[in-house]
Amino acid sequence: MKYRLMVLAAAIALVAAACGGGADATTTTVADAGGGDTTATDAPSGDPIEIDFWVAFSDEKRLGFAQDRAAEFNAAHPEYNVKVTSFASYNDVFDAAVLAVDSGQPPALIHFFEAATRQALDAVDSSGNKIFKSVTEAIGGRTEILGEPVVLDNVVSAARDYYTVDGSFYSMPWNTSSTVLLSNMDILNAAGVTKPPETWGEVTAACEKVMAMTDGPSGCISWPNHSWFAEQSLGQQGELLANNDNGRSGRATEVFLNSKGMIDYVTWWKDLADKGYYTYTGQQRDWGGVDSAYLAGELAMMIDSSSDTVIHTDEATDLGFELKASFMPRNENVPYVGNLIGGATIWMLDGMDTKKEDGALAFMNFFSNPKNAAAWHQLTGYVPITEDAVALLNAEGWYDEAPNAKVASDQLAAAANTPASLGALIGNFVGIRDILTLAIEDILVNDVDVATRLGQANEEANKSLSEYEALFGN
Amino acid sequence: MLILGLIVAAFLGPIFVWWKSEKPSLPRYGIASAAAVFGAAVTPIGMGQCAFAEETSGVDHLLAWALMAGGAWLALIVTQSVFDRRDGKRTGGGGVAGEIRTGGYRMGWWVPWLLLSPTLIILAVFLYTPAIQTFTLSSKLTRLGAPRSKDVCFGNFSELLITDPVRLVAYPLLAIGFIYAARLWVKRSTPDTWSRRGADVTSVVAMLSAFVAFYAMFSAGGAGQVAYRPVYLNTVIISVGIVVFGMVGGLGIAYLAFRQIKGGGVYRTLLIWPYAISPAVAGLLFFMIFDPTAGIFTYTMENWFGIDVPNYRESAILAQMAIILASSWKIIGYNILFYLAGLQTVSVDQVEASLIDGASARQRFTKIVLPALSPITFFLLVTNLTYAFFEVYGTIDFMTKGAPAGKTSVAIYEIIRVGVNNGDLGRGAAQSVLLFLAVIGVTLWQFRTSGERVSYGGS
Repeated sequence: MKYRLMVLAAAIALVAAACGGGADATTTTVADAGGGDTTATDAPSGDPIEIDFWVAFSDEKRLGFAQDRAAEFNAAHPEYNVKVTSFASYNDVFDAAVLAVDSGQPPALIHFFEAATRQALDAVDSSGNKIFKSVTEAIGGRTEILGEPVVLDNVVSAARDYYTVDGSFYSMPWNTSSTVLLSNMDILNAAGVTKPPETWGEVTAACEKVMAMTDGPSGCISWPNHSWFAEQSLGQQGELLANNDNGRSGRATEVFLNSKGMIDYVTWWKDLADKGYYTYTGQQRDWGGVDSAYLAGELAMMIDSSSDTVIHTDEATDLGFELKASFMPRNENVPYVGNLIGGATIWMLDGMDTKKEDGALAFMNFFSNPKNAAAWHQLTGYVPITEDAVALLNAEGWYDEAPNAKVASDQLAAAANTPASLGALIGNFVGIRDILTLAIEDILVNDVDVATRLGQANEEANKSLSEYEALFGN
Repeated sequence: MLILGLIVAAFLGPIFVWWKSEKPSLPRYGIASAAAVFGAAVTPIGMGQCAFAEETSGVDHLLAWALMAGGAWLALIVTQSVFDRRDGKRTGGGGVAGEIRTGGYRMGWWVPWLLLSPTLIILAVFLYTPAIQTFTLSSKLTRLGAPRSKDVCFGNFSELLITDPVRLVAYPLLAIGFIYAARLWVKRSTPDTWSRRGADVTSVVAMLSAFVAFYAMFSAGGAGQVAYRPVYLNTVIISVGIVVFGMVGGLGIAYLAFRQIKGGGVYRTLLIWPYAISPAVAGLLFFMIFDPTAGIFTYTMENWFGIDVPNYRESAILAQMAIILASSWKIIGYNILFYLAGLQTVSVDQVEASLIDGASARQRFTKIVLPALSPITFFLLVTNLTYAFFEVYGTIDFMTKGAPAGKTSVAIYEIIRVGVNNGDLGRGAAQSVLLFLAVIGVTLWQFRTSGERVSYGGS
């Protein structure tokens, strides 16, 4: 009951925040936060160069992290002033950036998510020039920019491979995660399950035991109805989501939402739901709803983004239960291929002069230097984005202290480097994801046939993709 | 096909003049004919005749003709008003303007325009220009940041409708025919007979048949069409629910709060509070009350009464009811405010007179209070409906996100989902044009039907 009250208290805090916060973007200037007097005296000549960095986080932890790093950078480089602006969502950042380019006031850097990589690569301004510039190209082989060591070459391979398109590593990874299973071991142990399930069959079996308990939770497992989980499942089963090697050997012109792997996955999912093992919160992309049900002790397990592993482990300690992270359960009937990443990168806008561009590049590399990347991981649970950051964490003994935090990195390291486990690059991916999650909701809530409904979704998605290709394709 | 439309327009012009004008003459017939052809030709010329190009369907032709008819009609109205002015007949709205003209404001004709210009400029920049851009966008397939866009003519509209042009014309005509037939029956029948009662019932059914006709005109999806029929149905259910709940509840509470009670001022102030809350926060509040895992209501029912409350988001009816409840709760304060003001205008003399005549409380309410409140009810009907159409996005987004499987996705939610979240600007624009037409249509219909029954006092 205590948990419920906590969840309610959090929700009330949210209301207060919603009442207080404005509707759109809130700008926070961090120029003076760390710089103080040095900013004024050390500035070489005139005002510092403004580097606008538009971020799609609005929570205190993540946005605060970006603001603190910007303040540190500004203190070390008084000739620059990195200004962090917060937006409500990735789409809002992107739309605002495209409009800002046309109105002549573009930001220098924007924070944009993995599924829209194709969209970002394709985006042009009103005179037809590409909006974003390849970070690799801009760095041009330098190992240091304005004294900040370049860390782009040091990025872990799962992220590097995902974001490398046509041989060029376009954007600088920031928040990168994978999907993990978080088990409430107190409940599982009480049901006689000693270790977290690894396969679909084991999940079903474990849930059978959990639901057989008389004083057990009201549900057994949940995860948000977000397309990312289905994409992960396809990667695990080694199946493609789109043609042309998931859009990596050429532009994707066809998607496969009703492939065998997808049908098997959704059928297993629906079976769990029909038996009452899977709890559907009733909303698409409902990360918060699954979190609160899990933390309220209503679920034995949840599949979640590793982005919150550290946060949830701490919350579980506060609430007094043992939380164990493990790999996302896989289909035992097919060989395992690999899970993929999710998250977002920092994109650099084209058309800045060299001095400003160097400032932006230096900031990005500073932002993900080993110390900062490790701190970011420890704060949230996103994977440490560079090899040096991993080494630093190992040296500090962090993983002995927080074994849950390592699961996502291990899972990504275990993946084979194939197009299926790299994840797809598809035009209008956001819209196609919506079509899939709507179909899955229909399947979960209403009594409709899995294959038929996914076939319908596939038709819609391909129409949507062909329209996108008509506008953006070659 | 285009020529056929223009020829029809050329004939319709004179017919319109013959029907409306008191002094039809040959030159006027000619002018009207030319005006009608001009009005009808504006849209096809502007759109480059795309609707009659090859590979267009019958539905495209229909939509193009509907636009041409609209253009011709507008041109004819303008022409007719010019004729009327020539004849020295002023058509409506002349009252106040006439008084001002004969009053003390003897200044240049440009003075009012000068005084209006700040408002007009703001309207032009922030309202009219975007509105016109929406119309342009609605005929395109386009996305933000795209290197090119594609003209799809009426494609964004015709994909929302059924593909059979004959049925598309037949359904609205049947509904209109039904409505006029019912009206005729009402006129022919004498009051207080069974015939009149039957006619009254029939006219209500006839009104409802308009809703059914629209339902049948929207596509059920499949074969490349967009399933807009469910969206229409959700919009009707949820909007009607909000308006009925909000207005009946508002009037009921206002009637109770209007009586002389201790601390009445405090109650009345508190009752108006929900209006000050944004739709998103209203959604969040009800989300917290009804949430299946952490909600207050669910918790209380389960732990105090042992009732297992189902997840409202998994049942279409419960989800729609939750949206109606949350949205009407938010507007109810506004309705109470207006009804409280209105109740103060109800004539005390009339109420006293009816008391002396021995009218019961119910009779006093239905025969005196309700008619006296009719102007306010009419005003609230329009504002509540506008609210239900346009301002429920935040509530829905917090409570259901359209769940279960799109059963709470109303027109405005769908516009934002398609146009903003999925970035499909053309389709979003087309759907918002549709909603725009719907609001205009409903408002005009309200003015025609409710206007007759609204009593503003006096004669």
